[in-house]
Amino acid sequence: MSAKPRASAPPTLTGNTIRDSALGRVPETLGEIVALNAAVWQRSLVSPTLLEVIRLRNARTVNCVYCKAVRYEVARADGLSEARAAMIDENYAASALSEREKLAVALADAYLGFPAGVTAQLAARLAREFSPEQIASLFVALMTFNFTSRTAVSIGGMPEDPLPVMLLPVSATSA
Amino acid sequence: MDAAASATSLDLDRHLARAGSPAASFARLWQSLWVQPYVTPALLEMCRLTLARLHQDERELAAPNPHVEPGTLTGERLRIVLAGGTLKSPLFSPAEKAVLLFTECYGLDPQSIADDVADAVKDHLGEPGLVFLIEALGCIDGRIRTARCLRDLARLVPGWEGADVR
Repeated sequence: MSAKPRASAPPTLTGNTIRDSALGRVPETLGEIVALNAAVWQRSLVSPTLLEVIRLRNARTVNCVYCKAVRYEVARADGLSEARAAMIDENYAASALSEREKLAVALADAYLGFPAGVTAQLAARLAREFSPEQIASLFVALMTFNFTSRTAVSIGGMPEDPLPVMLLPVSATSA
Repeated sequence: MDAAASATSLDLDRHLARAGSPAASFARLWQSLWVQPYVTPALLEMCRLTLARLHQDERELAAPNPHVEPGTLTGERLRIVLAGGTLKSPLFSPAEKAVLLFTECYGLDPQSIADDVADAVKDHLGEPGLVFLIEALGCIDGRIRTARCLRDLARLVPGWEGADVR
């Protein structure tokens, strides 16, 4: 991973994490990326906990140091404590995470695989637990989290060592 | 056949529409990728095909892209893109080669992108152009992944067809 930033932040800062990043250099997409992040956190058809579960699974798979350190306050308030967030690791299937949370991790892994793909067993479990609307919602969130974390990694300048956990309000990325 | 059984990155939005406003927002972002000043639709299509090749996604490779003017990417150039031979071909400009090499690296692992590979893109597209390309590759890659998963779900879950929104 490159320690050298390949793009700089915009000269004027706004207090919004996305606008103040290198993404702020592309006005043609910036507004919709901010709107998308807001829509995912505020109008998804699954709980903030499930969103945070797949966001963290993605962050750890992609190895986005920033994304791994962030915790969204709305998910913490929804019950995803730090102890539960720590369960989203290689042993998650045997953890105390709920069935829906484990399925969300499995769906994220299916999406993040190379090639991506859903097994028959996972498809059956998903269909039992989630509506098609909720599965679609999870995919939109996965795409959003995945493309933003891969963007952060690709732009470079990321520290190698883990950062301390940072609680973030949704407003920090959606205003 | 269930429409989701043939989903690709190019028609994904109608399959996800029932997710509501987040899906609509993602669809608007997708549309905006094809009308910006940094990367031509033809070159972005070459990026999409390169990622589809890396994903070994035959359906994605065969899908016609409505955002690209017919005849823009055809014949020998298209054949070379599909074969992964652009970097050694005289039919591709230095800018195209820089973008497609970056795309290959991105598709394999964004952590693997070398500084000189990124610098070459920046030399041709500028810094905002590099950032845009990174955003676009993320969207395309994510849509290819989601379309593959939706195709599996359509094949494996009885009644998934009813989940389609037309």
